[in-house]
Parts: sequence; C-alpha cells; structure tokens
Amino acid sequence: MKKLALIVIVLIVALVAPLFAQGSAEAASTGFAPSKDIDWIVTSSPGGGSDIYTRIISDIMTRLDVVAGQTFLVANKTDGGGEVGRLQVSRVNAGNLANHTLLTFNSGDLMPMVKNTANRLANFTPIAVMAVDKQLLYIGEYSKYKNFNAVLDAVAAGKQVVIAGSKGDDIATYEKMIGELGVNQNQIAFITNDSTSAAITSILGGHVDLVMSKPAAADQYVVAGKLTPVLALSKARFTGNLASAPTLSEVGDYDDVEVPVWRGVVGPKNMTAEAAAFWSDAFQAVSESNAWKDEYINKYKLVPEFRNYMEAQVYMAEFEADYLKSLGK
Amino acid sequence: MENLQLLLDGFSVLFTLQNIGVTILGAVLGLIVGAMPGIGSLAGVALLLPLTFKFNPTTAIIMLGALYYSNMYGGAFSAILLNIPGDSPAVMTALDGYPMATQRKRPGQALLTSNMASFIGGTIGMIILTFMGPALADIGLKFGPAEMTALLLVAMTSIGWLVGENPTKGLLLTMLGILLASMGMDTLSGSPRYDFGSIYLLGGIPFTPFVIGVVGFAQVIKLMEERNKKTQVSIEKLTIKGSMLTLHDFKRLFFPAVRSGFMGTFVGVLPGAGATTAAFMGYAAQKSFKNEEPLGTGAIEGIAACEAANNGAAAGAFAPLLALGIPGSGTGAVLLGGLMMWGLNPGPLLFTNSPDFAWGLIASLFLANIVTLVIAWGVIPFLIKILSVPTKLMIPIITVVCVVGSYSTSNSMYGVLIMFLSGVMGYVLTKCEYQTAPVLLAFVLAPLLESNMRKAFIISQGSLDIFFQKPISLVFIIILIAIMVFPVVRPLLIRLGLMKRKAS
Repeated sequence: MKKLALIVIVLIVALVAPLFAQGSAEAASTGFAPSKDIDWIVTSSPGGGSDIYTRIISDIMTRLDVVAGQTFLVANKTDGGGEVGRLQVSRVNAGNLANHTLLTFNSGDLMPMVKNTANRLANFTPIAVMAVDKQLLYIGEYSKYKNFNAVLDAVAAGKQVVIAGSKGDDIATYEKMIGELGVNQNQIAFITNDSTSAAITSILGGHVDLVMSKPAAADQYVVAGKLTPVLALSKARFTGNLASAPTLSEVGDYDDVEVPVWRGVVGPKNMTAEAAAFWSDAFQAVSESNAWKDEYINKYKLVPEFRNYMEAQVYMAEFEADYLKSLGK
Repeated sequence: MENLQLLLDGFSVLFTLQNIGVTILGAVLGLIVGAMPGIGSLAGVALLLPLTFKFNPTTAIIMLGALYYSNMYGGAFSAILLNIPGDSPAVMTALDGYPMATQRKRPGQALLTSNMASFIGGTIGMIILTFMGPALADIGLKFGPAEMTALLLVAMTSIGWLVGENPTKGLLLTMLGILLASMGMDTLSGSPRYDFGSIYLLGGIPFTPFVIGVVGFAQVIKLMEERNKKTQVSIEKLTIKGSMLTLHDFKRLFFPAVRSGFMGTFVGVLPGAGATTAAFMGYAAQKSFKNEEPLGTGAIEGIAACEAANNGAAAGAFAPLLALGIPGSGTGAVLLGGLMMWGLNPGPLLFTNSPDFAWGLIASLFLANIVTLVIAWGVIPFLIKILSVPTKLMIPIITVVCVVGSYSTSNSMYGVLIMFLSGVMGYVLTKCEYQTAPVLLAFVLAPLLESNMRKAFIISQGSLDIFFQKPISLVFIIILIAIMVFPVVRPLLIRLGLMKRKAS
C-alpha cells in the first residue's frame, strides 16, 4: 500500500508541477515576451500548403531569435474539415495560454468557416497578413479555344464551357467572374476538385476547357508548354511567363475581377493587445527577412504583402463582410 | 533500352554508402509504421519529412520512397496476426490472412504469402514503371470523370462477389456503406450533409478509425466471448521451419499475385484511386477466378491477390507523380510537398531536369523491395509468437493498439469515439451474419464514384450520352452490362447447350 501511495503522490506532483512553473514564469514587465512553448494550430494536413507556410515561418522565427528562445509546437487539427481546430482556438480562455496560441488562417479557411458554422472572425484576434496569391485561367494543349475571347464567343454562340478548379477561393473567384461576365452557371460551368493538381490532371487529359490555378501550382506546366495562361484574374497583368495573359478589362467591356487569396495568422479572441502587438512585430521581422523571400515568396510565387495586426483586422473583416454579403447572410 | 540504361544510371546514383543506408533505414521504418494500425504511409512520410531537409534531395526522396513502399508490406502483419489492418490497403488482407493464421494454424505461411505476393506485385509495378512510366501517366490522364465513373460502376458490381449467400443483406450493407460515406462536406459544392449540427461530422467519418473499429475492435469484442481460451495457436508450430511455404503453396500464390500486380499497377496510375482501391479490386476480382479454398476462409489466393495489388499500386502511383507532378494519393501529395521544399520543381520537366533524382528514386524502389522482403522474412519467427499470447492478455493489448491507432489519425479523441462506435457496429453485423467487407468497399468507392459522376454530368450538362460516346467508358459500360446480365442469361445458355453447367 505504501508503495502505491508513494507512486500516486509522485504522479500528482508530476502533473501539478508544470502548472506552478507556468504561473511563476508569467512576465511581470509591461510588454509581452513569450514565456512558454507556443502552440501553433494548423487546420490542414501535414505537408499541405498551410502546413509548409506555418513550418517555414516558425523555423525563420526561431532562427531570427525573436521568440525569446521558446519552442513552437505545431499541431495539425484536421477534424471537421478544420472547424474543430478553429473553434478550439477561438475559445481559449484569457491568460497566458491565449497569448501563446497562434492559428494559421487563410481566406480559404475563413470561407468554409462562415459558410458552414456560426464561428466568425470576431472570435479571433487578427495578427498579420503575410502574402497574397491571385488566380489565372489557363488552356491546355488540346483546348478547343486559343484565347479568352474565343471562349466568350463560344458562350455567346450557345456552347457550354467547363472550367476545372479547386475549392474555396477558386469557387469565389469563379462566381465573381461569371457575375461580371453576366452569364449563368450552365453557360460557363465549374467543376470543383479536391486540389488544384486534380484540376490540372483533368485539363491535361483534355476533359475540360479551362483550368483555374494560382501561379505556383501551374508553373511547371507553363514552362513545359502544357498549359497557357489566357486570363489574369487580377487588376494588373502578371509578370514573367504569365505576362501574356490579359486582365478582364482588356478582353472586353468588363471590370477586372480579383479575389485576393491571403495567407495570414490569428490568435484567440482573448489574446491581449500587447501580445498581439508583439506577434505582429515578430511576423513583420519574418516578412522582412531574406530567408522568407528565398524560402517562401519566390519559391511559391506569392505576392509579399505584409499587414500588421491593426491593418489585418480591417482587411480580414472587410473580406468576411464581402463574403457574407455574397452568401446572402 | 534507353530506359534500362537510365535505370542503371539510377542504380549508380543509389549505390553510395549513405544512400543504401537510408534505403534500409526507410524500409525498416516503413515496416514499423505500416504494422502500427492508424499510422499509415501518409502519417509516416509526413512525420519524417522534416527530418530529411538537411539531406540532399535525392537521398531524402530515396528514404521516403523506401518508407512509403515498405509500408505496404508492414500493413499486412497486424492484419494477419491481429485482424487489425495496419493501414487501409491491408483491410482485405485481414479477410483471409487472419483465418489462415488462426483457424488453419498457418500464421508463418500467411505472412510469407503476403510478403511474396507483395514482392511479386511490387516488382511487376516497378518494371512497368521503368519502361512505361511516362506513357502510363498519359494513359492515366485519359481517365476523365466519365471514364472513372464507368470503371467505378464496374468496381461497385464486384461487391456482388463479396456478399456471399444472401444478396439482400449484401445490398443493405452496400447502402449502409454509401450512406456513411456521404456524411460530411459535399465534395463538389462544399455544403454540409448529415452533419446533425456537429462540427466534427462536418469532416465526415474518417476512414482509418472506421476500419480499425469495424475490423479490429469488433474482433476484440468477439475475443471477449472466448477469453478463457488458452492461446490461439499451439506454440510448437511457431518456428521458421514450420513457416515455410510448400511448392504447392507457392504455385497457388503465384498466378493471383501476377494478375493482381498488373491490375494494381494500373489502378495506382488512375487519378484519385490509390492502393486501397487497388487492393479491394484485386480481391474482388480474385473471387471470379478459381480458388482452391473459398475466399474468406483463409485462402492463400485471397492474401496474394490483395497484397500484390496494393504493392503494384504503390509503384504505379509514382508514374503520374514523377512524369507529371500529379499525386495519385495523399502520400503522393506529401512527397510532392517535400520535392518543393528540397528545391525541385515537380512537374512534366522533372525527368528532363533532374534525371538523377527521378531514376535514383525508381532504383531505390527496387532496392527497397528486396531489402524489405529479406527483413520481413527475418522477423516472421518473432512476430508469430504474438499468437501464443493468451487471449485474455491479447484483449487489452489489441484494445490499446486500436485506441492509439485511431487517435493518431487526427490526434484527437474523435477518431477514438468513431473507432468504438464502428467497432460495436461491426460486432453486431458479424454476430447477425452480415459481412463487413461490402460496407468497407462501398465506403471507399462511393465518394470517388459520386464526385466523378457529378463531374461527368456537369461536363455533359446532365446527358447520359457522355458515357457512351467516349470509347474507354463505353468499354466499361459494356463490361458492366455483361456482368449484370450474365447471371440471368446463363441458365438460358446452358439450356441451349451453348455453355457447360458449372461442376460444383
């Protein structure tokens, strides 16, 4: 019995000790500095775009030594299509934990969240927007149409045109585009794939007419001559090998269509303003580093566009309001 | 022969001390990861990916390729010994592997059969990959939504071979599988279905915990009924000598393995269909061939068919990945992410721009295949000792394995809950003499079928013509009709003397 009691006591001490350690380490100064491991939640699978983004930033932050030697614990919470992880972060109670919790948050996360759940941006503290991405439409080697005007002519002649794309951002971009063109979903149809690479697969096989992709995913196929950009869904033309694609206003009497796909970071609603400011500065340091440009922006062909926590708040809120309006909510 | 030359170049890249070392390391890790339920190749590759960033890209991909590949071997171990599939492609292996190990008391032979079949299937897949990689990838591209729909319809009818005596039960089970699979977010519009207001159900029912429950945990509940039985297999037989395959055994496994190897490789190339689908189809197809013992009672043919198919598919999946930069599976997508992080651009130019890398990887698959076979062979005598553990001790051990496996799929208790619930469901089904295989097969195929069929209808604007206008899909539709009509027409043909009555 004695042995058992001893074991129980040791176990209790082992369980409780870290709680005390945490409490005593709380920063006493007015500013905020990380005093414990940082939980960073990613709501998609390891190896995916959001995961790579998160791990690169946490790696650069550690190298730049802006987190007072603390460790990032990146956790992939994929239950419920990511909604479970987002809900957990939004509900973190005020205190030290709230100041040490980050969530990778992109436009592609916000859209399904507000569409399918009651969770809203108001339940988070925006920290930063790091980069934006935009879409293009491409034709394949065997496409019937050689440019976007030919596509519009075919639609006018009563033919159906099919675009393949991915989820979330792509659907929003497509809907905005057909709205601007004044056609319906039968005239220009959209096929949602699980990923952009699945969409590219279907155009390489000649099963669809057009494919929607961000520059990075299509890059190799453009270089190899298997895809050709025909429309930039952006307010200005792209550069490099994508420069040949006109924007919508160049094609005809339309306004340019652009749905910026942003990559950002938020914290729980209960994160303090000091902590949000600290994290915002830390992300700014990353965005200004060469490592960020070399290892992320250039490699994944994104547009670097840093917004600090105050700007990000306005930007994300505007995006949410627009999207809710388009849903009729 | 140019490809052979390139493959030899690949081997010259491979044969450095470091690369051989990581191949062996990858193969060993893959076996372990594969044998642990729940942690499949996807999690294994994702976990090890960050470790490889300090390597040069070729060494890194060689290690991950070996891991991915040997994982297909490992999955069979726990399927055969514990009736818990180590990864999803091994579900079908359990159907014959476990009865062979416990009822027929030939655990060593069951493991060896799975290893040999994996080796044969994998070798076939690699040879095809070597000589026809890019061409194979192009064939895969020809399979658009209409073609995939027709193919999957044929695959769905193969459930008919799995249902056994009672077609009504089989139909019911298939419907149940489809219903469960349709929970969660609709793949095309992204709107929630059957989520009952729960955000967990928004993501649907995760496959791995579901399988561990239906197959593994249901087994635990069944074991509880017979908990006082001493051991499952007497200990004397558990030696390496008693585990050898006879020549007759080998003959029985060889042809199913070759057939399934070809089929698996082909399925692996198709967009969206992976090793799991290949194993299911390989097994279902085997039902229509001659088997010495009925499938499902521990037949060597059954183990061989599905193991060869999943290894063939694992090799085949590299064709679109390397030739076009298109991942055929979740694991492929992680590998692709890895390629980008190592500074390579996966895509149609990979073979041209980085031949060292592409051929080094293919060469490493050959090496991993042999290394894994040897290692797996070596550990069999130790592994089969598991069966001599008394049942009452096995119950808690298997339960822990089930819980850990289902927890690790998404690192949350949600998976564990799904595992327990589907375990109870699986037990009740088995108890009432419903087979669980049709549920699992429908669960895997239904989402693929749904999304492809709906895509096809978007392209054709709702017209059925699309399935008849495309030659590939037309062929599958004809096969489909033939399969459906044949049982009705057969008595007629026999009466007319055009066909012989089946000797039973």
